[in-house]
Amino acid sequence: MSARPNLPAPPTFWNGAVRVFSLSLGEMLWSRRTVFLMLVTGMPVFVALVLRLVQSSGITPVRVNSTPVDGASIFGGMIWIFFLRFIVPVLGVFYGTSLMADEVEDRTITYLFTRPIRRGAVLVGKYLAFLVCTTLVVLPSVVLVYFLLVPLSQVARTFVAFAADLGLLALGLAAYGGLFAFVGAALKRPLVSGLVFVFGWEQVALLVPGYLKRFTVAHYVQGLVPHAMPSDGVAAVLQAVLRNNPPAWLCIAALAGIVAVSLWLGVKAVESREYVLDQ
Amino acid sequence: MTKPTRLFLFVSGGILAAGLGTGLVAAYVGGFQNLSLLAASGPEELSYLPSDAKVVAYANVRELMDSELHQKLQALTPRNGNGLARFQEETGVDVSKDVDYVLAAIGGDVSAATPEQGRPLVIARGRFDNVRIEGLVRSKGGTVEDFKGVRLLKASEPGGGMEMALAFVEPGLIAMGNDAAVRQAIDGHRGSAANLTGNADLTRLVKDASDGNLWVVARFDALSAAGNLPAGVAERLPALNWVTLTGHINGGIRAAVKAEARDDAAAKNLRDVVQGMLALAKLQTGQRTDIAAIMDSIELGGDGKTVSLALSIPIEVVDHLASLRTPGRLTPPPDAPEPPQAPEPPAVP
Repeated sequence: MSARPNLPAPPTFWNGAVRVFSLSLGEMLWSRRTVFLMLVTGMPVFVALVLRLVQSSGITPVRVNSTPVDGASIFGGMIWIFFLRFIVPVLGVFYGTSLMADEVEDRTITYLFTRPIRRGAVLVGKYLAFLVCTTLVVLPSVVLVYFLLVPLSQVARTFVAFAADLGLLALGLAAYGGLFAFVGAALKRPLVSGLVFVFGWEQVALLVPGYLKRFTVAHYVQGLVPHAMPSDGVAAVLQAVLRNNPPAWLCIAALAGIVAVSLWLGVKAVESREYVLDQ
Repeated sequence: MTKPTRLFLFVSGGILAAGLGTGLVAAYVGGFQNLSLLAASGPEELSYLPSDAKVVAYANVRELMDSELHQKLQALTPRNGNGLARFQEETGVDVSKDVDYVLAAIGGDVSAATPEQGRPLVIARGRFDNVRIEGLVRSKGGTVEDFKGVRLLKASEPGGGMEMALAFVEPGLIAMGNDAAVRQAIDGHRGSAANLTGNADLTRLVKDASDGNLWVVARFDALSAAGNLPAGVAERLPALNWVTLTGHINGGIRAAVKAEARDDAAAKNLRDVVQGMLALAKLQTGQRTDIAAIMDSIELGGDGKTVSLALSIPIEVVDHLASLRTPGRLTPPPDAPEPPQAPEPPAVP
């Protein structure tokens, strides 16, 4: 009887996650979803370009009470309106919930789960791919908007706020992505739940006085924003008035906690759940 | 990883790195003008204020003067500009154009009978004619001295009252107030005395309040002492530590008052009292649509040790209230017509 050949040892959890990451990154970058992502993040760049062109023709593009608004203030408003209230949560929902759901829908999850890597590593690897993919699309868009709107003479005054914006957007993507990666791994209809959370629960909780806002991601992300909240509607005015910003260290700790707990729960859910593919 | 993926990562990362690098170089050359924003704890001039301040107030004069509300109020009730014109003539400072913002603090014992013990201090950022101001102080009998390299103009109140001082602490920044307070401000900013940024409680409250273009943070005992509340009223009020008032004035007015009680029970007690008062006020003003709109905008909130009250007055309500003050409305209504004479009683046969 011949001796059984020595099989290579299965990769560790992190090695497995890195392999899934490198496989998923390419797939994610060239998917239809990323075309949508590029269109969405291209919108503020387009608006900034138009404002810049208007400004360079000698016309003040934005005035409030006949007072010209400077580029840095317009940039601050765009961070709120485009990125914080829309792009970051929407990307978190669409990408986060689809990390596992897409594999189930395409019936390719079996191929991943038959590999000698832990199921949890699949989720973590895909989450890392999501993070790299979205940050490398969103953050360059913010950089372009900043340099289109803010004149170089104002960069020294506004750079720290700009760097803080980049950091908080990356943290926001990580937190929303982590939360919805767990939702996608644990629930059957994750997209609906995600949209209800972002456009229902968070909007209501931020308007209600009291402690409910602590159970939202937006509360901690908005607590880090160095720009004044634009008063562009009744809800925004109420939010601004009822806003009770937690300290920056608490916001960062809370967002890091959301990422860690969500990923841990997501890993547990993927490893314990039995995925039944539709015939 | 495929070649297009690598190319994408390279281009995206390149834009990000180029942006951050350019910003970093520009900020380094510009001296990191807003590094204090990392702490995001209000105006950078806070380092001039005393660490034991009981009241800190801020007004963004530029925004307030440019606000739609101010324009409307000015059109409605044109002020007698003689005082401001005289001030401008003497100092060269046009308050409506040359002052950007003002920060004020009262340190020390604010309940003291004399203002010297309260140590008031005002810091103003703007464009000032130093030579003209110095000339004015000298013409009024004031003196000039050098304090640690800063020009300090001093003047005494007539009758030997408080000794006032004014210092040009930075280009475009003046500190004025009680002599001791101005000297302490210079020391505090240079780190040779404690300043407000070292007071964690106050810094936190100022950071919370600094969203508005007008705000006040005050210790409640300082406010009640300054307001000379009757002993009976002061005793019945819940135990409060700090009170914060934040206002944002532009088209309309948004304001929020936050009180920080000593414990959860005191805060709950205050919330209940305010809720009752609000309900009563809403009942009283139910028929007045103009006031009812303001009452409806009032939101009571807060949790734990805080109680907050938010209020929003849209510009339409301000317009409506203003229309009530127009001369047409103030003229007395026309006399009612004489009542018809009562018929003669029938004659008794």
